[in-house]
Amino acid sequence: MQKMYRKQGRIILHVDCNSFFASCEIARDPSLKEKAVVVAGDPKERKGIVLAANYIAKRRFGIYTTMPLWEAKKKCPSLVVLKPDFSLYRETSSKVFQFLRRISPLLEPASIDEGYLDITECDSLGSPLEIAEYIQQGLLQTLHIPVSIGIAPNKFLAKMASEMKKPLGITVLRKRDVPNILWPLPVKEMHGVGDKTAKKLNTIGIFTIGELAKAEEERLQQLLGINGIRLKERANGIDDRPVDPEAGEKWKSIGNSTTLPYNVTEERILLDVLRELAQSVSERMKRKRVVSSTVQIMIRYSNFQTITRSKTWENPFQEAEEIFQYAAYLLKKHWNGNPVRLLGIAALDVFDKKAAMKQLDLFHYEEEAKREALWKTMEQLRQKFGEDIIRRGANLFQQD
Amino acid sequence: MTMTMQWEQLEQYQPVVVKMLTKSLEKGRVSHAYLFEGQRGTGKKAASLLLAKSLFCLHPLGIKPCNECRNCRRIDSGNHPDVHVIAPDGQSIKKEQIELLQQEFTKTAMEADKKLYIIEHADQMTTSAANSLLKFLEEPRPGTVAILLTEQYHRILETIVSRCQVFSFQPLPPALLANDLIEQQIPPHMAFLAAHVTNNYEEALELSRDSWFAQARKIVLQLYEMLKKNDLQALFFLHDQWVPHFQEKQQIDLGLDLLLYIYKDMLHIQLGQPDYVVYRDKIDDLQQWALACSQRQIVQSMEIILQAKARLNTTNMSVPLLMEQLILDLKEGKAFV
Amino acid sequence: MKIAIDRESLAKSVQDVMKAVSPRTTIPILTGIKITATSQGVTLTGSDSDISIESFIPVEEEGKLLVEVKETGSVVLQARFFAEIVKKLPQQTVEIEVGPNFLTVIRSGKAEFNLNGLDPDEYPRLPQIEEENIFKIPTDLLKTIIRQTVFAVSTSETRPILTGVNWKFENGELTCTATDSHRLALRKAKIETENPQSHNVVIPGKSLNELSKILDDSNDPVDIVVTANQILFKTKHLLFFSRLLDGNYPETARLIPTDSKTDIIVNAKEFLQAIDRASLLAREGRNNVVKLTTLNDGIIEISSVSPEIGKVTEEIQSESVEGEELKISFSAKYMMDALKALDGTDIKISFTGAMRPFLLRPLHNDSMLQLILPVRTY
Repeated sequence: MQKMYRKQGRIILHVDCNSFFASCEIARDPSLKEKAVVVAGDPKERKGIVLAANYIAKRRFGIYTTMPLWEAKKKCPSLVVLKPDFSLYRETSSKVFQFLRRISPLLEPASIDEGYLDITECDSLGSPLEIAEYIQQGLLQTLHIPVSIGIAPNKFLAKMASEMKKPLGITVLRKRDVPNILWPLPVKEMHGVGDKTAKKLNTIGIFTIGELAKAEEERLQQLLGINGIRLKERANGIDDRPVDPEAGEKWKSIGNSTTLPYNVTEERILLDVLRELAQSVSERMKRKRVVSSTVQIMIRYSNFQTITRSKTWENPFQEAEEIFQYAAYLLKKHWNGNPVRLLGIAALDVFDKKAAMKQLDLFHYEEEAKREALWKTMEQLRQKFGEDIIRRGANLFQQD
Repeated sequence: MTMTMQWEQLEQYQPVVVKMLTKSLEKGRVSHAYLFEGQRGTGKKAASLLLAKSLFCLHPLGIKPCNECRNCRRIDSGNHPDVHVIAPDGQSIKKEQIELLQQEFTKTAMEADKKLYIIEHADQMTTSAANSLLKFLEEPRPGTVAILLTEQYHRILETIVSRCQVFSFQPLPPALLANDLIEQQIPPHMAFLAAHVTNNYEEALELSRDSWFAQARKIVLQLYEMLKKNDLQALFFLHDQWVPHFQEKQQIDLGLDLLLYIYKDMLHIQLGQPDYVVYRDKIDDLQQWALACSQRQIVQSMEIILQAKARLNTTNMSVPLLMEQLILDLKEGKAFV
Repeated sequence: MKIAIDRESLAKSVQDVMKAVSPRTTIPILTGIKITATSQGVTLTGSDSDISIESFIPVEEEGKLLVEVKETGSVVLQARFFAEIVKKLPQQTVEIEVGPNFLTVIRSGKAEFNLNGLDPDEYPRLPQIEEENIFKIPTDLLKTIIRQTVFAVSTSETRPILTGVNWKFENGELTCTATDSHRLALRKAKIETENPQSHNVVIPGKSLNELSKILDDSNDPVDIVVTANQILFKTKHLLFFSRLLDGNYPETARLIPTDSKTDIIVNAKEFLQAIDRASLLAREGRNNVVKLTTLNDGIIEISSVSPEIGKVTEEIQSESVEGEELKISFSAKYMMDALKALDGTDIKISFTGAMRPFLLRPLHNDSMLQLILPVRTY
């Protein structure tokens, strides 16, 4: 039996915490268990909205996330309303992931309350279903967090499967189940299809996942760009994205250092070295599509005394020139003039470029605004043909 | 050198510096940054305050401050809101101190149209404090004068030095200082000793009036006599008299200096330079002692004392132990007779 | 100096001037309160050099005798002790007598304190008021102006001049501008003056916050006098001095856009609440940034995504949306600060593009505007 599974390819679990914020609150205060509980912006604020509701609130009273609080209270006068406690949720989240990592190190946290677990190599622990049951029971008993689990040969199907039974469901979705189970569903039920995409698909006559699976690629590409092709693949149960343990936390820091051929006391030479290091750090950041706001330099003196100094700037950076400027600033500030043996630069706490923001400045925004058209075009091209289609010329050149 | 001195008084000690400073005042060409360097007690602080008063005085006579108006008086008392004096906070001048100064200087002056700051022991700025100051010196604001004081010129960042007009304060000849003290009714033997210990008039005056210092002198001379006797009496004397008297590190260091002067005096006598003798009232004894030992022995003894001073300042060795070792070393080499 | 003074009036004055006394001053004399008695009454002064407060107790007020000046003069007393003593004195009247070397005796009933006073000549001299240079403005309006601008000053010392609010007196109008370079607040007001002179000064934000605290909510006029080094505000019995920031304030008028491509009219209060909700998750994340998207039929979508926590989307109905479609991201905090300053009426927001500053203005009032620089997402 186990061997058969292996032959079919990977086994991926999608573990999804049920009503996570509310569950965390109930885990902390079990007396809430039989009550309708919601977490909301500011309980006193009349205009607050529901951020999370437990199943009693959802099922028995029809309360849903984003419902205005006053409406929720009208539906359920005895409603327990709690203020969000994000530090509790973060802490619980990391405990859940710790538990999952013990099953398999191939864990990719997808958000605070869900993650993908690749258990292809875990047959010694039991069948996939047994492993899923073990996880569900384990999390419920130790952390009092209910989860739904989807079991499937890839991430997309696992995600779809975990959505099918809540709370505390375990659903197996094989590729051969796709036509029977997924295709009849409305297209907006599909993971990755939001309201807007669904409306667009509706305009070309696609209303179900099945219709998407059979749609013409060209029309999809015209309508949705590269994303259209991907969605069609998914609708056919195809998704070869690996479970990437680093995807969530990204690469905490990216750095490079070099031992100098002799002990250097000339600032000019040290700056040249920093320029080269900045170049290589920048290239690696670009390859991983991350940015950072903190530069650290390391100076090792000829007597092996080593210092590291860092500074956080307001706006994230990725370009070599910026990294060099920041590193040079740190060197000039902290180098005591003694002979230097080794120099290093690191970008600390790097994060996904997509999460990066730059607060524009009243006195310098014009430079940014001039490039507005260019940014727009780049974004459109990326949407159409995928992330890699366009890079700025300088970057292209560096790769060669 | 009291704080309420005039340019003329300072000129006796620092003719070159005073001439240049008063000239620039007369021409109304005051720099935005000065660096006053020179040994302790050479009049750097006094010059900086004089400069401040010359700029702020309400009733100056030419460039000379009146020393009486509320501005002059408040510069002396530290109450002038537009004159700021920064000194090390503990071991060093911290970045926060410089930042506070910078914030102060982003604002208009409180009373006048000018502001002045004095940084004492500027060499003791931390690296980041020095870098903050550098930025400040790079963008001088009109009507702002900075005066940096240091006894350790070589430890000031080159980049800071290059942005200041540097004045070197010459060390004071001890004889000149001693004469000033004698004018203040200080007995000559105390005056000469105090003038060697410090270059600063006020400090010297205070020392020579201090009974602790007089007692210290007595104990040091007694110790030397003990050392000459060829038995272990010196060790008993050490524990009974010396150790209880010299307790603070600074005091011990001073005690060692006083001992060193005895050997220096003998050396000067041997070299035929009696004018340099510090213990003038003991010159007869010194002459006898000097006859009884070789120059090599004297130099060797001086080295031993200097080593003890170094140990005192660089290690945490217990003081009685350090002194015992010193005495045994001095006796060992028969460096004295 | 020898005076007998009403304890309550004295205590009130001491409390007022103590607001300017800082225990952390580097100027020793400023740890004291200066007391000056003239034939008109008694003046108390406290200062931390950045701000100074003078409180005046007249000899007589509303037929009540407050001070009897037996001998004029002046002294500086340690603020901390003096304030404590005055609070605890037993009788309605306090007698203060300064002897040789500024030794001061404070008597009330049977209690007697001897305090070592300091030489008043050591105390900083504050600018004198010249009657012809006065601008007048109602107290409550002054407080509103401060509230609507001072929040936008910079808290970073990298550009010290931006830690203050720029006040321009010109043609009977006062223009106040504050910016930390990411947003800008501007407020104009008419001022009453016979002084045709114009002034352009920068007042430290901290000073204005302190000033606001000591002003009441009446509409009594406040006199404003600008001198070379300080600005001073005079109410009935209080004088508030502040030093100015040294340097030129950047020219901001030309940076404020005059045209627009998209105009939105919304109710400020509803909009504020929507932003608040959207930022609920955003402020837990790396950036407190929300996104505004114009949809059809005057609907505006406010959304925020924080990668690890979640997503908030809300649609609100605006009064009107005119011009080009728009997607723009900005700091929720700056937007909320600006909306709070605009006092909850209908407002017009004018955009000229996703990378350009946008303006918020009350619909029927051009005396104030708030400007915000957007955030560029990568």
